[in-house]
Amino acid sequence: MTAPRPYALLAELTYRCPLHCPYCSNPARARNDAELTTAEWHRVLREATELGVLQVGFSGGEPLVRRDLAELVHGAREAKLYTNLITSGVGLDESRANELREAGLDSVQLSFQSDDVDLADEIAGVRAHQPKLAAASFIRAAGIPLSLNFVIHRRNIDRLPQMIGLAEALGAERVELANVQFYGWAFLNRAALLPTREQVARAREVATAAKARLAGKIDIFYVLPDYYETRPKPCLNGWGQRYLTVNPIGDVLPCPTASSAIPDLHFENVRARSLDWIWRQSESFNRFRGTEWMPEPCRSCPQKEIDFGGCRCQAALLTGSAANTDPVCSLSPNRVRVDAVLRDLNPSIVGAFDWMPRVNPNKEAAATLDREVTR
Amino acid sequence: MLIPAQIADDARPRLARGVRLQIDGTTGKSVLLFPEGILELNETAQEILTRCDGRPLSDIACALAEEYDVDLATLAADVREVLADLQRRKLVELA
Ligand code: SF4
Repeated sequence: MTAPRPYALLAELTYRCPLHCPYCSNPARARNDAELTTAEWHRVLREATELGVLQVGFSGGEPLVRRDLAELVHGAREAKLYTNLITSGVGLDESRANELREAGLDSVQLSFQSDDVDLADEIAGVRAHQPKLAAASFIRAAGIPLSLNFVIHRRNIDRLPQMIGLAEALGAERVELANVQFYGWAFLNRAALLPTREQVARAREVATAAKARLAGKIDIFYVLPDYYETRPKPCLNGWGQRYLTVNPIGDVLPCPTASSAIPDLHFENVRARSLDWIWRQSESFNRFRGTEWMPEPCRSCPQKEIDFGGCRCQAALLTGSAANTDPVCSLSPNRVRVDAVLRDLNPSIVGAFDWMPRVNPNKEAAATLDREVTR
Repeated sequence: MLIPAQIADDARPRLARGVRLQIDGTTGKSVLLFPEGILELNETAQEILTRCDGRPLSDIACALAEEYDVDLATLAADVREVLADLQRRKLVELA
């Protein structure tokens, strides 16, 4: 099919990060190539605008690690892009917040691990909670709209009411309660992160009630734990339809997790090709575009234009082929694999939280992973 | 069904903080940009929002009624409906 125009770019500026969350979105085996330079990012931002992109999210890793962040925000604003910063807040002091505001930053999504300092710091693997609280106040003082992002998993899901309370106390305009999705580090740590069925049911009630209570005050966005659903999420609104990601080393991905989840997909790099060519012509963007690639049961399913067959990365991770129906779907012959995970984990759940903290990419880390992956 | 209170004639609607109204270079149409979201506006919404510059709702309705030569009552109802919807989504605030 012909390529539509994209709306949003995720700019992963770096894999470096002072935190070590066990569900980190960094690839579990990040390549160590040089990060894109300031000038290269400016070009990417311009090319994205020409392609039709209207929004950019600066993320990582921790994007504040890049000293040129404000410069890149400014460049994005010059290109008329709406700019979001997706950050842990660690490294954001008052002058940095003001610098970003002056550069034209439109909004900040600040991640929190929990409302409780001990649990939060345990999850992050460093003392990050206090600096995050400070960061929230600097963002408010600079007058930048604030969203709070919580990744929800077995250890913090029972604190949903308190976490929503934190968002209220910090004056957030929006809060995202995202049940952890199992890719990358989270996939490796799934046994420790997956919540129980009872927890999930309670959390859904809490989120629904809070949504009603805070309507018009705080926008609450609840991301469902899809293993417990019977229909898959409409991942990305379809492959290569609206979103693209450029990672720290310049690879362009239809989905941020595709590089680790789908090893047989080759990604093009902005150092070698234009964004336009990659978006329209590359094999990686075209392989799952539209509905032609779909197998049964999706091919003859009336839902196929609604959920697009679910998530390619999930299909790859759980069934071994990215071209299969997302196994979360109860119509998928592979749904048994998801059910097996839920069944296996639910009885043995109490006290199991021996996850593996994310480590920075180096040889030692790779060795640890080899053991974990091949176990 | 929940029937929200009507927006008053003297309410002054304006874009909420963090919301930007912009022309989409690809389509030439207006879009609202906000954290994690994009809303493509129809012509009515666009005409209303470009006039949300601090003036009261009644003035916006009058200006549009004059410009498009339509009945003021009908138009005021349309304006209220559009703004109420945008207010629910926190894209518009009333001062
Ligand atoms: S069969 Fe495919 S298209 Fe149908 S509901 Fe399941 S994933 Fe969606």
